[in-house]
Amino acid sequence: MSLEKMLATYEFEQWLYREAERLDHIDFDGWFSLMHSSLIYQMPVRVNKEGTERPDYAEDMFSFNDDIELLSLRVERLKTDYAWAEIPPSRTRRYVSNVKLSDYVPNEKASVNSYLLIYRSRSTDIHHDLISGERRDEFIYEDGVWKLSKRVFIVDQTTLNTRNLAIFV
Amino acid sequence: MIKTTTKNLEEMTQKETIGYLNETVQPEAGSIPAFILADPKIYDIEHKKVFMKTWLFIGHESEIPNKNDYMLRDLAGYSIIITRDSENEISGFYNMCTHRGMKLCRADKGNKSSFVCPYHGFNFKNNGDLIGVPLQKDIYGTDLDKSKLGLHKIRIESYKGLIFGTWNEEAESLSDFLGDFKWYLDILAGRAEMEVVGPPQRFIIHSNWKVGADNFVGDSYHTMVTHGSIAKLGMVPSATYSKKGYQIHTMNGHGLNLGTPNPDFAFPEELKSEYKSNLTDEQYDVLANLKNMIGNIFPNLSFLISHTKVKGQLISNTTVRMWRPIGPDKMEVIAWFLVEKNAAEDWKKRSRDSFILTFSPSGIFEQDDTEVFTDITAAASGPMPVMKELVYNYTMGMHREPVSGFNGPGVVYDDKFSEANQRNFYRYWLDLMNA
Repeated sequence: MSLEKMLATYEFEQWLYREAERLDHIDFDGWFSLMHSSLIYQMPVRVNKEGTERPDYAEDMFSFNDDIELLSLRVERLKTDYAWAEIPPSRTRRYVSNVKLSDYVPNEKASVNSYLLIYRSRSTDIHHDLISGERRDEFIYEDGVWKLSKRVFIVDQTTLNTRNLAIFV
Repeated sequence: MIKTTTKNLEEMTQKETIGYLNETVQPEAGSIPAFILADPKIYDIEHKKVFMKTWLFIGHESEIPNKNDYMLRDLAGYSIIITRDSENEISGFYNMCTHRGMKLCRADKGNKSSFVCPYHGFNFKNNGDLIGVPLQKDIYGTDLDKSKLGLHKIRIESYKGLIFGTWNEEAESLSDFLGDFKWYLDILAGRAEMEVVGPPQRFIIHSNWKVGADNFVGDSYHTMVTHGSIAKLGMVPSATYSKKGYQIHTMNGHGLNLGTPNPDFAFPEELKSEYKSNLTDEQYDVLANLKNMIGNIFPNLSFLISHTKVKGQLISNTTVRMWRPIGPDKMEVIAWFLVEKNAAEDWKKRSRDSFILTFSPSGIFEQDDTEVFTDITAAASGPMPVMKELVYNYTMGMHREPVSGFNGPGVVYDDKFSEANQRNFYRYWLDLMNA
């Protein structure tokens, strides 16, 4: 690996850590500012196949299928007094690992794959939810910063063991 | 010694428990006890007396459109295979090899004409016939009668593409079970050629299944508060829009709330002639003025047509969802998205995306409901609600008389804020618990 790619990988790891921090600290506006205006934000429904046929997720049904406008709506909604699903907010901790950079063009674009484990705890409930999956991200360099332009989150369950996705992946 | 004379469900026989239900579940008086939402004993009796007896939803015919397609589903806690065989016949079979009981199939869906058991290799055709036994002549001689070893066939029937099944051979026909409610299901699923897009969404809520059914069968009242954020965002006209319309119930616990009028046509304009050819004039009139339609087919199949403004454009989506019980305080929600097959691709896509945005695990309507469902179930759990005889009030609208003059069948009230549908749901539930 070239030194340049090592540094870039480090830069994207730090980007993902900062993103996780904003989400875990309930800074949705701060998180939203990391998004590019051409954003595609998807979470396909995972399915059980007979064998190793791929993809083992739906290409026509999603748990999230947002552009920047819909994502903005979700963020605005969370700020109303009626977004009960997250009143009070879940305690979440996003663990990001296995970060791999590809299609990297300095100051232009990059593709980054990573693993994500979300721990979610609500209220006094001693039960917790774990959401595990893989992020397939694409970035565009704009105004001196990297912005997320595409995220496809491949979740590791066909039946999600969490009451809702009022949190982001 | 501390004295106690309180009821204890754990020590009751099944007969005593049902007697206690008859004492405490009083739909006509508008009183429903909390314990029925979380008690393990009620859950067990319910499984035998409700879920093993009634018709239950399985899926939509469009999910297996081609010959030799199959899908895996659940019927009252048992895995079943739904196949479309080479004759185009749709059948249901228990997902169990008749030789030693191994599960035959584990993919959600696929296409194949036969199923081979992973244990000893027994091979079953998708019409249920046993067609192959490895080394048969060698090890069984001529004595094995394969015709007696076909897969266990399940009784299934369809209405407007919606497939239902039952373990109960004595059950009335699906058509009779749905009865007058079919008039409304025509609008939901028979207004045009409908198809399911993609796999159903599946997620777990720590809630009793009845909370979901109760919410969809007649509770439009909660939308003002629980879904207050939606009105704030301008996706629906006002917080009180949900009151306008009719509340309707029919026999066997079925019920719906019909939101009307609607100044806009909620469906693709170019399909008007298809709608007219599939519906009566009266049904089409309901469709043409429909703002939303939300209901529940007893016991646990809820449905929804919802018309909202997304990105400045009005769009409707149609969904059916099953509250599949997996424990007294746990259910799997399985939500299917349905759309007009002949609608324009752009309309289908916008409709799907409005479904995902509003009623899916990430749905901005749905997610607030799940919070409520979870907390209601938790509060109903354990011995205290029996000890303290906690009950819910279901008296809303008891002072009102049904209206005549509405064109559809059933008992009809002229606005949606009533609990007559919930009372009707629990009445049939109680009748089945006694049967």
